[in-house]
Amino acid sequence: MFLMRFTERAYVNYTAEDVKNSPNSAVRLTFSNRHFDPQRGADLYNMYLDEYEYCEEVGFDGLMLNEHHSTPTCLGATMNLEAAILARTTKKPKIVLLGNPLPIFDNPIRLAEELAEIDMISRGRLVSGFVRGTGVESLATNTNPLYNRERFEEAHDLIIKTWTTPGPFRWEGTHYHFRVVNPFETPLQKPHPPIWIPGTGSPETLEWCAQHHYPFVFLETDPDATVDMKAIYTDTARAYGYEPGPEHCGYLLRIHVQDTDDYAKEVGKGYLVGNVGVGRLPMPPDYMFPVGYSGRDPKYLALRERIRTDPFRVGGLDAAGYEAILAANRMIIGSPDTVIRKLREVLARVRPGILAVWTNDGSISHKDTMRCLELMGQEVLPALREIGTELELTDPFQQTP
Amino acid sequence: MPAGVHEAFVDVGGVKIRLLKGGAGAPLLVLHGSEGSLGWRHYAQALADHFTVYLPSHPGFDGSERPPWLNSILDLVCFYTWFLETQGLEGMRVIGWALGGWLAAEIAATTRHAFSKMLLIDAAGIRPQQGEITDLFILSPAQIRDLTFHDPQQVPEYAQLYPSEPSPAEREQAVQNREMAVRLTWKPYMHDPRLPALLARVTAPTRIVWGRQDQIIPVECGTLYHQAIPGSDLVVIEQCGHAPHLEKPDEFVRVAMDFLP
Repeated sequence: MFLMRFTERAYVNYTAEDVKNSPNSAVRLTFSNRHFDPQRGADLYNMYLDEYEYCEEVGFDGLMLNEHHSTPTCLGATMNLEAAILARTTKKPKIVLLGNPLPIFDNPIRLAEELAEIDMISRGRLVSGFVRGTGVESLATNTNPLYNRERFEEAHDLIIKTWTTPGPFRWEGTHYHFRVVNPFETPLQKPHPPIWIPGTGSPETLEWCAQHHYPFVFLETDPDATVDMKAIYTDTARAYGYEPGPEHCGYLLRIHVQDTDDYAKEVGKGYLVGNVGVGRLPMPPDYMFPVGYSGRDPKYLALRERIRTDPFRVGGLDAAGYEAILAANRMIIGSPDTVIRKLREVLARVRPGILAVWTNDGSISHKDTMRCLELMGQEVLPALREIGTELELTDPFQQTP
Repeated sequence: MPAGVHEAFVDVGGVKIRLLKGGAGAPLLVLHGSEGSLGWRHYAQALADHFTVYLPSHPGFDGSERPPWLNSILDLVCFYTWFLETQGLEGMRVIGWALGGWLAAEIAATTRHAFSKMLLIDAAGIRPQQGEITDLFILSPAQIRDLTFHDPQQVPEYAQLYPSEPSPAEREQAVQNREMAVRLTWKPYMHDPRLPALLARVTAPTRIVWGRQDQIIPVECGTLYHQAIPGSDLVVIEQCGHAPHLEKPDEFVRVAMDFLP
C-alpha cells in the first residue's frame, strides 16, 4: 500500500459572501484576484512547503501535488515549481504530480523538459500524472475545450516519445507540430517516470488508462460509483489481455486525525467552514464542463449510465451536510482508532493500492495540520500498512502495473 | 412549416447539409447565427413573398454533416462558395445574422462575384474598440437567451424559439450547435483581425442593420462595419436587442425590403 499526502494548498483570506457576490457566484475563473494578498500568499506557499517536508519525516511514501488555475481553492497554479523545490529539499518520498493538465500546454516538449529536470534533481522520485484539467483550466488559458481530449492524447504520445526515442525526430500531428524534437535532458527513470492518471472517472479516460496500464486515482468518488468505474477499467484491461489489481487503483479522501474524536470533528469542520473549500458550492456547469469539453459519443454516453450517481456531488458539499458526509465515509475524521477503523472498511470495499490522504484544507490551522501529520506518522500510517498487507493491497512499486 | 416551404438535404462536395427553401422570385440566401437556423420564422415567410429564400444549416449545425476539414470561419467560406457554385446561386442576395453575418462579410471580401447585395444583422467578425463581444462560451443557454433580446415580451415567436420542454433530441442538437460554434469561433474569439482591412474589397451594395440595445455584439461594431465597407449604410433599430429579425420582425422586414429588391 502506497501512502501519499495531499492538500490543495488553499488560499484562505476571503469569505463565502465574497464568492456569492461574484459573477455567477463562482469561486473559480471569475472570482476576482483583487481578493488575493501576495503577503499572505508568501506565507502560505512557505507554510505548505514546510508541511510537505515534515511529511517525509513522519513517513509518507509520497507527496502529492495538483494544479488548478484562476482559483483560490488551490495555490498550485504552476505545480512543477513546487515539485522542483521538494525534489531538492526532500530525500525519500516520491513526488507525485496529479497532474499536469496536458491540453492547456501549447508546447509539451517544454513540459517534458521540466519533468525530466524534476526527475533528475529528485534522483528518480517523480511520478508524472497527467489530467485533462477541469473546464476552468481550458477557459483560463483560452484552450478550446472541443479539442481537450485530442490534445490530451496527442501531448501524452509526444511526451512519451520525447522521453523514450532518441532525437532528433519530427512530430507533425493534429494539434502539435515540431520539426526538431531533441531536448537534451531526458528523465533518470527508464523507460520513463511512472504515469498515474487521477480523475472522477469518465468512461473514455478509464478505457484509455486501462489500455496504457496506468493506475487510475479516483478523486473522492462515491464508493459505489467507484466500484462501477473500476468495472469499466477491468473490462478494458481484460480486452487487452491482463487482469488489473490494486496496483492499478488509487483513492483520494479527506482524512483528518486528532487526539480525540470530539476535537477532530471540530477541526474537521474546517474543510467546510471559514472559506469556500473545494466542492462546497456547485460551480456553474459552463465553467466546469464548457461546451465541447464532454464527449458526445453514444458508446460512452451509454457507459456513463453504468455508473451510479454520486448523491454528494449534486448540490455541493454544503448542501450535503457535514454529518451526512461523515456517516457515508466520504471524509474520514476522528481519533487515530476511529480513522483506522473507518479506513479499513473503505479500503476493503474500494481496494486501492494507492491511498491519497488529503489531510487538511479550508480553514484548518497549521498547528492542527502539524498535529494531524504527527499522529498520522505515529499511529495511522503503520496501521494502514498492516491493513494493506492483510488485504493484499499491492502498490505500483511492489508490482508493476 | 407553412405550405410552399420545403426541407431537403443538398449535396456540396459529398457533404449533405439541411436546407429550408420557400417562396418565389430571385434567390435570397439567409446565413444563420451560432444557435443554428432556428427554423422558418415570420421574417423568412415575409421575405418569401418577394424572394425564393434559401435557409441552409451550416455544416455541423441542425444535423448538417461536417467534413473533417471544416474547423474555422475561413473553412466555411470555402464551403459556401462551393455551395453557391453547385446550386447555381452565385450573384444572389444575402442576409447574415451574427456568426452568419460575419460569414457573409468574409465571403464578400474574398469572392467579389458571390453576392449582388448584402444585408448584415448584428454581425460578428470585427473586434469592437470600446466594448467587447460577450463571451457566450462561459454562459448558460438561459443566460444567452436573456441577453439576446431587449424585451422578450415583444418577441412574437418567443414560445416557438424557446419551447418550455425541449425533447431530448432537441437538447442534444442544441449542444451540438454550440459545439460547432466553439469549433468555428474560439480564437480569436468571434472575430477576424484581417476583416476590417479586407472589407475595402467589397463591391456589393451593403446595408448594415443593428439593434441599438444589442448586449452581445455592441452597436459600435455596426459603425465599424459601416466604415469598412465602401458605400454601405447603417440602420439602427431602437428599443431592440441582438436579433432584430426575431424581436421586431415587421420593422426588420420593412428595412430589408427598402434595400433588397
